[in-house]
Amino acid sequence: MSDQLLTINGLSAGTEDKPILHNISLGIGAGETHVLMGPNGAGKSTLGHVIMGDPLYQVSEGSITFDGTDITELGPDKRSLAGIFLSYQAPVEVPGVPLYSFLRTICQMRPELKTTARKFRERVGKIADQLEIDQNFLTRELNVGFSGGEKKKIEMMQLLLLRPKLAILDETDSGLDVDALSIVSRGIEAYRKECDGALLMITHNTRILERLTVDCTHVMVHGNLVADGPASLIDDIDAHGFARFEEALAQKAEA
Amino acid sequence: MANTIITADQTDTTALGHINVPPAQTWNYLRINDIAFDVPTPHFVGDVYARLPQLFDKVECGIGEDAVTWMAHAAGDARYVEVRAGEPHDPIVIDVDAAGCDVSDTGVLVRSGAQATIVACSHGGAAGATSASLLRVIAEREAQVTIIELVACNEDQQHLDAVGIEAAEDAHIEMRQYALGGGKVALGLCCNLAGNASRFSLDSRYLASGTDVLDVNHVIRQRGRNTRADIVTTGILADSARKTMRETIDLIHGAKFAEGSEIETVLVTGDDVVNKTLPVILCDEEDVAGNHGASIGAISPEQLGFLGSRGLGEEEAERLFARALFDDAVIHAVDDDVRQAVLARAAAVLGADVARDIAEVLGYDIREA
Repeated sequence: MSDQLLTINGLSAGTEDKPILHNISLGIGAGETHVLMGPNGAGKSTLGHVIMGDPLYQVSEGSITFDGTDITELGPDKRSLAGIFLSYQAPVEVPGVPLYSFLRTICQMRPELKTTARKFRERVGKIADQLEIDQNFLTRELNVGFSGGEKKKIEMMQLLLLRPKLAILDETDSGLDVDALSIVSRGIEAYRKECDGALLMITHNTRILERLTVDCTHVMVHGNLVADGPASLIDDIDAHGFARFEEALAQKAEA
Repeated sequence: MANTIITADQTDTTALGHINVPPAQTWNYLRINDIAFDVPTPHFVGDVYARLPQLFDKVECGIGEDAVTWMAHAAGDARYVEVRAGEPHDPIVIDVDAAGCDVSDTGVLVRSGAQATIVACSHGGAAGATSASLLRVIAEREAQVTIIELVACNEDQQHLDAVGIEAAEDAHIEMRQYALGGGKVALGLCCNLAGNASRFSLDSRYLASGTDVLDVNHVIRQRGRNTRADIVTTGILADSARKTMRETIDLIHGAKFAEGSEIETVLVTGDDVVNKTLPVILCDEEDVAGNHGASIGAISPEQLGFLGSRGLGEEEAERLFARALFDDAVIHAVDDDVRQAVLARAAAVLGADVARDIAEVLGYDIREA
């Protein structure tokens, strides 16, 4: 087992009027790849957002420790600067902000990534080529008028630029065609190789996992983490679905 | 300019009222119906100055007739450009040096099927100086016109900027408007979509800070059938700046199936700003669609959450929006002199280091002042 990077302990969270996550405990080691699966509405995306510190959700119990620091009370900006990255399932449009301005600003916020404008341009150009992103996109407004696939590529570009210690990819594969999926998968693979960062993949689609070595699989049902297992658990779920986990949770609740 | 016949130290002034009067007015006590300027009285020194063809006299400019008359007189000279289809042409650049009290009067006739790019840039400034730019454009059938209007004046400058457009059948007008500074600035714009299926899109962006006064009047007359107008305005108000924005879409009788939309998003970062907006849709036709939307205040929670997840707190996000405005203006400047004017203004507002970074990241050199 590698050094523990993320430790979630007894976490319960939700929106102001609705509890969503119940007593979640989970650990991710540095450089590990974890997969989070579960039926629709299980709370997987919520967990990703709660780890990121999305102010839409409030933690009612438990703690989140990242890289040895308790981050439960920190805002998303501080968590991001500490090395957590969340790839949005539906990236937010920011009219008025060209992509170039955004990328430059988020890089310059990090002392380890600060660089000259020339080197920044070179780096962005290289990543854009790697992800087959048209350079003209860089002068367009952030996520405005982009297709779903383009938005996901731009998310991958941010991932490769920011080189976080932990990347949470929230259904990054959803809505992608075969070609876009292949490019995004290459981006994730490049992140693993170049940054040696940890991954928490929230997904329904096992194709995106083909190029990755999965260390651990977690299953979430109705806001509860109901099973942890090795990579082979993914194949099991592919074959049999989530019914047995839902039944087990229901029986536990009845008992 | 060919003739500058007003000066910064001039003591005789003319009171110009009824500037930026919207087509439909509201209660006077709201002080939103117009703005007044004291401008230097033009002196004629015996030159015979050129006037634009009479064709341009009928072009409505949004800023008001008195202001148009003053600008035409104060310019002392006029520039007429005709663009024909099939002829290659460079962007038509109108350069107004505000510190030199420049006043320009330009008329552009874009012939049927022709394409033209027009850049009007007013920049710099000096204490007590007044400058102005008057641009009138006639787009004939199927003409395609891109207009970039930039006002990047200093905080001690007063400036008037007017654009009037006549669009014939199937003419397409795409306009970007950047108000990046100026102590007291009036922007008047009117686009008359006279021809059927003519189109107008406006992307208007502004930053008003310090004690700047920014006064804007956008008027779109939709007369032709199947015409389409889209106005998107985004701006930042900081410190104790004052801004008035009037946006009118006038769906005139006979404009069947016309569609017009206007949306304004204002980011307020100063505690003492004054923000007035008068959005109006006038409608005298049944088969039309007019839409209006406005968002005034802070960055949306969704955007803040997203930007936060990339390491930007609220203050950093606000700084990003300000920088982005200048980045966008540099990206669309199309001419290096115009680009340098934007960068000079960026240096004044955001600091020299940020201005240099904007230039270098986008791959441009910055000229030292």
